[in-house]
Amino acid sequence: MLSVKVTVSGSKLTAVTIGTLNDGGNYRSQSIDQYAIPILEQQALAAQSANIQGVSGASYTSAGFAQSLQGALKALGL
Amino acid sequence: MATVTTPRVHRLFHREEVMGTFVTFDGYFLSAVPHDAHGALEDAVGELHRIDRIFSTWKLESPVSRLRRGELGLGEAPDEVREVLDSCLTARRASGGWFDPWRLPGGVDPTGYVKGWAAQRALDRFQRPGMIGAVVNAAGDIATVGIPAPGQRFRLGVVDPADRRRLATVVEPPGAVATSGTYERGAHLVNPHTGSPQALVASATVTGPDLGLCDALATGLCVGGEDALPALDRLAGYEALLIPFHGAWKWSRGFPFAPDTAPVRAR
Repeated sequence: MLSVKVTVSGSKLTAVTIGTLNDGGNYRSQSIDQYAIPILEQQALAAQSANIQGVSGASYTSAGFAQSLQGALKALGL
Repeated sequence: MATVTTPRVHRLFHREEVMGTFVTFDGYFLSAVPHDAHGALEDAVGELHRIDRIFSTWKLESPVSRLRRGELGLGEAPDEVREVLDSCLTARRASGGWFDPWRLPGGVDPTGYVKGWAAQRALDRFQRPGMIGAVVNAAGDIATVGIPAPGQRFRLGVVDPADRRRLATVVEPPGAVATSGTYERGAHLVNPHTGSPQALVASATVTGPDLGLCDALATGLCVGGEDALPALDRLAGYEALLIPFHGAWKWSRGFPFAPDTAPVRAR
């Protein structure tokens, strides 16, 4: 089970923290900075930039994406 | 679906989950988005789902899955399967043998071509008279037509394989761009000559008129690295950029870097 804490400024993502429940029931937080930007933020980067209309990179699966950030954000209505 | 209005250019945007990933559509108009654009979008989206039902190796009963298990003969498969496999023969030759869907574990697997091919077909259905430009972006395989605004060209970032939060560079492709790398899905690329997993560069980006072929060539280049680059010289209109795990980038002479990001040769 994952808990996801999201910090949003306007519609811009500024921080995300994923916590996992360990056996003792205590949260261990793990910053997901090193997971890099899933496509959500790449797209946001492109959309926010006046200069690019998209980003080309190795393809990601929607399953992998949902496991990371996007699923939680969609649930939050972002 | 959302219609976004910006000064002088109106945009139709849609994101669809299909083929195990996300595909986005962007249509650019100089006046309000016409009604028939939404119908064209539906057609294009429907085409992606239709292709997915035929080709998905994740769907156990798709014609391609059954073909791979030997339950279906090629002659009994939908026409598109033969069309795609023909195109894969061409792509195999064009890639110097580094893209070879017949040498993958589990049977013939044209996935490295199909996503780009599908997105290109979707763009062909999506684009309408009245659009000044359009983009279909299938998880980083991107097909474009026209321009995003008067006096501008489409500019597409390329992900830095060492840090996915950053862009390595920006390209202005004549049509399409595809990138292959292992940094998203892990070791999924196979050397057709040895049968073993291999990726000699961190990412390979190919630009050119047809996204399916760009997709296939990028896959081959990621597996074969520099050895796979000379084959591209024989192919008019296709250019490539290789970003290695360490050391200097290599690119074909005509690779369409955006003017403001063009690196000097020593990079």
